[in-house]
Amino acid sequence: MRLRFTLNGKPTEVEVEPYELLAEVLRERLGLIGTKIGCGEGECGACTVLVDGTSILSCIYPAAKVQGRTVTTIEGLSPGEELHPVQEAFIEHFAAQCGYCTPGLVMSTVALLQENPHPGYGEILEGLSGNLCRCTGYYQIVEAVKAVIGQGLGLRGQGKS
Amino acid sequence: MDTSALGQPITRIDIQTKVRGTRKFPQDFNLPGQLYGAVVWSAYPHARVRRIDTHTAEAMPGVVRILTYRDVPRNEYGINIRDQTLLVPEGGKVRWLGDRIAIVVAESERQARAAAEKVQVEYEVLPVVTDPREAMREGSPLVHEDRETNILRHVRVRKGDVEAGFAHSDVVVEDVYITPMVEHAYLQPEAGIGYIDEEGRVTVIAAAQWPHDDLHQIAHLLQLPLEQVREIVPAIGGAFGGREDMYIQHLLALCAFVVRRPVKIVFTREESFRNTGKRHPFYFRYKWGATREGKIVAVEIEGISDAGAYASTSIPVLNNAVSFMAGPYAIPNAKIDGYAVYTNNAVTMAMRGFGATQPPVAYEQQADRLAEALGMDPVEFRLKNLLEPGTETVLGNRMPPGTGIKETLLQAARAAGWREEAGRWIRPDLGTPSAPYKRRGIGVACAYKNVGYSFGFDDRSTAEVELSLDESGRIGRVTVAIGAAEVGQGVHTALQQIAAEALKVDPARVRIALVDTSRVPDAGSSSASRHVYTSGNAVLGACRLAYERWQKALREETGERTVRAAYTFHGRDLRPTTPYDPLTGQCEPHISYSFGTQIALVEVDIETGEVDLLKMWTSTDVGRVINPPMVLGQVAGGVHMGVGYALTEHFIQEGGYVRTRRLSEYAVPTVLDMPRELVNVDVEVPDPTGPFGAKGLGETPTLPTAPAILNAIAHAVGIRITEPPATPERVWRALQGKK
Repeated sequence: MRLRFTLNGKPTEVEVEPYELLAEVLRERLGLIGTKIGCGEGECGACTVLVDGTSILSCIYPAAKVQGRTVTTIEGLSPGEELHPVQEAFIEHFAAQCGYCTPGLVMSTVALLQENPHPGYGEILEGLSGNLCRCTGYYQIVEAVKAVIGQGLGLRGQGKS
Repeated sequence: MDTSALGQPITRIDIQTKVRGTRKFPQDFNLPGQLYGAVVWSAYPHARVRRIDTHTAEAMPGVVRILTYRDVPRNEYGINIRDQTLLVPEGGKVRWLGDRIAIVVAESERQARAAAEKVQVEYEVLPVVTDPREAMREGSPLVHEDRETNILRHVRVRKGDVEAGFAHSDVVVEDVYITPMVEHAYLQPEAGIGYIDEEGRVTVIAAAQWPHDDLHQIAHLLQLPLEQVREIVPAIGGAFGGREDMYIQHLLALCAFVVRRPVKIVFTREESFRNTGKRHPFYFRYKWGATREGKIVAVEIEGISDAGAYASTSIPVLNNAVSFMAGPYAIPNAKIDGYAVYTNNAVTMAMRGFGATQPPVAYEQQADRLAEALGMDPVEFRLKNLLEPGTETVLGNRMPPGTGIKETLLQAARAAGWREEAGRWIRPDLGTPSAPYKRRGIGVACAYKNVGYSFGFDDRSTAEVELSLDESGRIGRVTVAIGAAEVGQGVHTALQQIAAEALKVDPARVRIALVDTSRVPDAGSSSASRHVYTSGNAVLGACRLAYERWQKALREETGERTVRAAYTFHGRDLRPTTPYDPLTGQCEPHISYSFGTQIALVEVDIETGEVDLLKMWTSTDVGRVINPPMVLGQVAGGVHMGVGYALTEHFIQEGGYVRTRRLSEYAVPTVLDMPRELVNVDVEVPDPTGPFGAKGLGETPTLPTAPAILNAIAHAVGIRITEPPATPERVWRALQGKK
């Protein structure tokens, strides 16, 4: 089937099989390797991307469902040299070690802060609880999230935020 | 440069591309014309393979080739002893579920997996043995029929007179402790690609902790000269010991070698759980005696590890475990027996701590119980017994300068509110529980671990440094070539800082070359918390040599634009180690150590058995802090793994079959499961042999976490969880038993 959608701000067309999952299409057909697959069952959150601004788990999300919609991946957060404030904060706070869970955590953070620009501590934890990290113990990730709260976040260059 | 590069929060060398999602992990590589491989795994934990029939599978769409044992030039391997086949032959045995029968290579991954299901294998099912205590007994089914027994290794330690020690003791405590099997659960599933490079070498791109050792193993399997094999290590999505031994490298190499086209293999998480190595479960018996003054005088310990179906690193893991079973204490009389035993369970191997992680679950609960029996504060009791520089251990060696474990206990205890009054230590007030059905408790645990390879194995690392000079002869760029795998722990940033410090340049000028065995020298493995110490010393040595040559070139005005130097560091040159004496176990076990103490404040729900982690205090003696936020990251990550060990993570097998099949059935702690607050104090008691005094760090912070939590549970509700994880069900049952 022919899939037409907006990917990181650009109109995109790709031929996919009906059974293909969004993470596979992004990685294998469109070469966007920033979206990671960690479990294949929506448990670890490494595959988190935004569909119409809401976070979804692309490793269990049928690609066909994004027909006509807007998809934002980690590559769409900082298309140029400039980084997204969430990415800046992750760097500043040493919030990545091996880095495999990082794109998913960055996307979950962006989604969390779009929905609730001023989350309390408990809300931050809830917002990150769908993403597993095996390296950091999460503290520096939480610090990074706290650091960006109130910076007036939105998706830049995405049309929709 | 005016300021030191050490002790600074230098931005991680690899983090920008990681937050952008552009850094490539093994599954992110694709090559033109690549094929896909799928493994046919054993269907049984113990069986003889009668016949392998690939005809139906070969006729499936897209199938290019099906590899079986006939395709392996020399079908034997093993990191320590060669007790494994790459692909099990007809007439041979499968000894666990992770044994491999065949690899299907096809045009697409789906086609390869579909055909793998059509490979027909006839088995003669054999009886399994899954409890190492039973496997030790005579008449038990033999996992390896060419051996007389399932016992892979026995280590004995005999020091002083244990019977006299117990007779002299005022209190004796004894119990059985069982530690669980644990899955590494790194976030990046096993993956990679094998191909023939432009020079005709069999080349593998994979996440490996010890790329140069893999080369030797692959060369043997394929009967190729070493220089005909190459391994490239891109970003690694966590390792924790699980990538120290080969898990996919040899499969990729064989595919490329036979098919002569690029072949990619990616394991599903289910394959990762079912078919890769785990942390050893240990079955401990502990009997300890102390005097009323609070001195531990005798220990008798038996520790049996489940080695699973193949040796992997079970022998060195047992060696290490035995050396830490008596804990970080000065004890005059000891009788210790350690065994590693083959079973039909999952292969067990290195995992963060390498045998030093299981014993603290037992020895720190023993220490608490002795303190309780004596009516003594647990901090005070430990202070009377902890090792100091020069103290003799149960192995007869003396602890080196830089033994800072007491300092970690003092720092952690004071931070947690312990006070000292007239020579007695007093626990802090814990405040009021958050509900009438909850009880608070606080627990302390100390632990220590070797840094570097032990027991006579040479710990060495080679670094090559190249200085590019600008027109005025100043250092423009520095390139460090070293085969140290960056598994996420931050070793490349730490080595960058060490090089910058040694050369007095801005760390931004230092780059670490891609780990490609055809271009960088052997640095040994990313394990044993050793790279900052061993490879740090290698980089330091190479930089000092380069610095001298550069200065000489400047003095002599040679006009050179490039200065090179290489240096190999040998641990044995500073502190030689020796193997266990076969009768007494007396030896010089380790080169260097790192030390840690953690304290946990918990609340236990007496109606549900749930344990809530309110706060933890951590203190690790790292010798010298290279990068403070990176130290914190390693400590917090260690605590995370320790929380899983104490409370949530349990890899379950029954009769050799895996019951924990995927990530949703294995509770890796989420952010909500972590202690709500973490207070960390770094301790810097330098090791004079470490680079700028630094020791290792990666493993020690995970050792005290579980026993600190278990001791806190005991303090809160008076029950001892001797078989973690302390799930709500287990805690609740123990509470019912107490009523």
